[in-house]
Amino acid sequence: MKKFVGIPFLALSVLLGRAVASFAQIPAEMEGMEYETRADGTFLIGGPTFAFDRILGAGGVHSESELWTPAKLRDRLLFNRWSGTPSWTPFEPSVWMKTGNELGDLIYQDFVAEKNRPANRTPILEGGFRTPDYKGLWATARLFQDDHFCSGAYGYRYKAVDGDYSHFGANWPFFSSAYGGIGYTNSLVNASVLAGEEYLWFYTATSLWIPVHYKPRVEGRVDVMDLSLTVAYEDGEYQNMYKKETGTRKEVNGSVYYKCGKACQKGILQVSAGLAFRAVDDSGSVYTELEEDRVAWPFMELRVQPIQWVSADVTFGINERDWLVQDSLQFMPITPDDLGVTIGVKNISGTRMNPLADTKEFYGDRVVDLTADGQMNLIQGYLTFVDTMGYVAMGGRGSYWAEYGAETFEVEEYLSEKGDEKIHASIQTRYGNVGRINDWIKGVTGEFWLNAWYRDMFKFTAMAGFEHIDGPVENAEVTPAEFYTGFTGDWLLNGTFKISHSLRYRSDAQWNLRSRDPMVVKGDWTWDASFSQIFPKYGLTLTGTLLHVLADEVMETVNGGYDRIRFICTAKKTF
Amino acid sequence: MILNKLSLALAIAFFAVLSWGEPNTSVEDVAFSHASIGIEGGEIYPFGVLEDAVENTLYGGLNFRYAYWENVDGVVMFHYAYFKPVPEAVPYDGVHQAMGKVGMDVQLPWINFAKLGAGFACNWTRADLEDEDKNEIYAKPGGTLGDNETEFGWYARLNLNVLHYEKYKVGLNVMWEELWTLPERSDMLYVGLYVERSLW
Repeated sequence: MKKFVGIPFLALSVLLGRAVASFAQIPAEMEGMEYETRADGTFLIGGPTFAFDRILGAGGVHSESELWTPAKLRDRLLFNRWSGTPSWTPFEPSVWMKTGNELGDLIYQDFVAEKNRPANRTPILEGGFRTPDYKGLWATARLFQDDHFCSGAYGYRYKAVDGDYSHFGANWPFFSSAYGGIGYTNSLVNASVLAGEEYLWFYTATSLWIPVHYKPRVEGRVDVMDLSLTVAYEDGEYQNMYKKETGTRKEVNGSVYYKCGKACQKGILQVSAGLAFRAVDDSGSVYTELEEDRVAWPFMELRVQPIQWVSADVTFGINERDWLVQDSLQFMPITPDDLGVTIGVKNISGTRMNPLADTKEFYGDRVVDLTADGQMNLIQGYLTFVDTMGYVAMGGRGSYWAEYGAETFEVEEYLSEKGDEKIHASIQTRYGNVGRINDWIKGVTGEFWLNAWYRDMFKFTAMAGFEHIDGPVENAEVTPAEFYTGFTGDWLLNGTFKISHSLRYRSDAQWNLRSRDPMVVKGDWTWDASFSQIFPKYGLTLTGTLLHVLADEVMETVNGGYDRIRFICTAKKTF
Repeated sequence: MILNKLSLALAIAFFAVLSWGEPNTSVEDVAFSHASIGIEGGEIYPFGVLEDAVENTLYGGLNFRYAYWENVDGVVMFHYAYFKPVPEAVPYDGVHQAMGKVGMDVQLPWINFAKLGAGFACNWTRADLEDEDKNEIYAKPGGTLGDNETEFGWYARLNLNVLHYEKYKVGLNVMWEELWTLPERSDMLYVGLYVERSLW
């Protein structure tokens, strides 16, 4: 095995056959929303609890959050998608606060502006702490909510619930969370239990926003060496004030997971395994259903590396309803120093992309089947290379993929739901069932990038990618963007001042099935920038971040919020 | 709109260039090696469309200055002002404005009593009226300020140190502030006197 010491993370990512980590070191507005600063794909944000996030080289027509993988065991299941937001992963010992706003309020312009008056802009708010350990024990508490994008279906949502539906303010944000708890950490064990209250909005298959109020939500985590246990209890209250309906769902979900540790990773055959589960108890109007009120999902991961330049990975899970296999075979031929080449093939097959999600949605008296007969098959072959020359590396990745039986939504009827009648508000909805595209959809992708860096002071990446898709992609939820380009730069001055930039362009993307006429999300340039004062001696960091500069304000999903310029400042002191 | 975006880009580029300092291996020891606290008071002059919106007003508040790099200070400011509207149609007497700023001051190499600074600004505003009246006035000019409104922006300033006596400094700040409001950006000029006392 050649040594690739000194090759930066981006290049290593290529060698490992992953997609390019194409974002600069710009902090996302919330954990789990890292897609908002990425260039390398189609990332359409409806709000902090819903986004279509597809990396261009990933293959298939699905977005990343639709697919179950073991890496998402501690993500949140929001309807049928896995989301890193809102995250209940405890922070490192520190105290922190965050505030920001979508830019463009009137302030004193309100006294004189008669034309082009902007709609209200909304903030982001967070504060929290985690104490240092005392004999291994620690305590934590956090309040966090993201009011950005809350323009999405606002005229419908604020009348659908009783009260402000958040911990703070009256913007009806897509989530508002507060928790507190205790933990214990030593060299063998990392354990925590958190309890809190949370307001959330799910975006469903029928394009409805469904509110749920967890009171309480409790989550416990225990990591003992290579074994991880997660259990959450959620007492969710549902309501629809238009129809005077209420309901409750008491849910227990979690996982047990043994992950191949350091000793195991030295072997030829590496095995990890686990079990994910959910159990629900519904009463009243809950709007979704989990068949038999429970799902258990045993899974196993195998990695075989008989020789240093060949590796095979398989992840599979199966239960009485579904099965899902994700596997890959990678070949890394011996090449001259500083040149890395990977040739691989990957496959995803299964009856359901997300076997842990609910199986039915109820829209009035209608029942929406969220499962489809048959199976999907995706196969992708790819070749990546990276060549490193001193402080410069260049690389590329090409792939060809073909998918049959892709999951989609078979629309039977387009509908609408009225919101606040005083302002003639309504949202676009649909009725139908989850189905399959029983045809081949094929794609060819090409990506190229150039990295340059100087010690830890400077990093620069220029990248571009394209994808051509053949087949009935108009039957998929989204027709992804055909090409992108991005430029990211990070400067670390004097080791204590960090500037990060990301300038990028994405071509048009299109929602095909959420509205009668397809919704085109026009291509646009976007610029993000972040500035941090860092005081390593004191563990103090002050950061100001601008997101979505230069781009037009657009709605990127049907019934979603406007993606606006926003400024976020954070202060964090680690202990 | 393009000009607004361009000015935003220029502001950030200016901020980035301004923050470029001399490489220094002991930079971590310089941070917070000295710090001072000060009071500041002066007048704010609205520019552009804001000249028809609010009257000139007085402001005052606290400043905190700390060593960041050898010739660069970090600054944190908390100021307050009360703005009176110009249009008679605005249904209240004035607006409370609390201002927070975080930025840096760079020592000019050729004028030792002058520093050039820039940073981010955050202004919180609320109309001077009873809470129960805010819904009634929402549709009138200034109605959005019946509830809390916050807007961010950037500033650039010239910091002049006129007198320096033992632990005390007296001087003048001239600051340009631009908030990222719509339909147009909001520009104001601040001119204020300050007294600063070294803490350590």
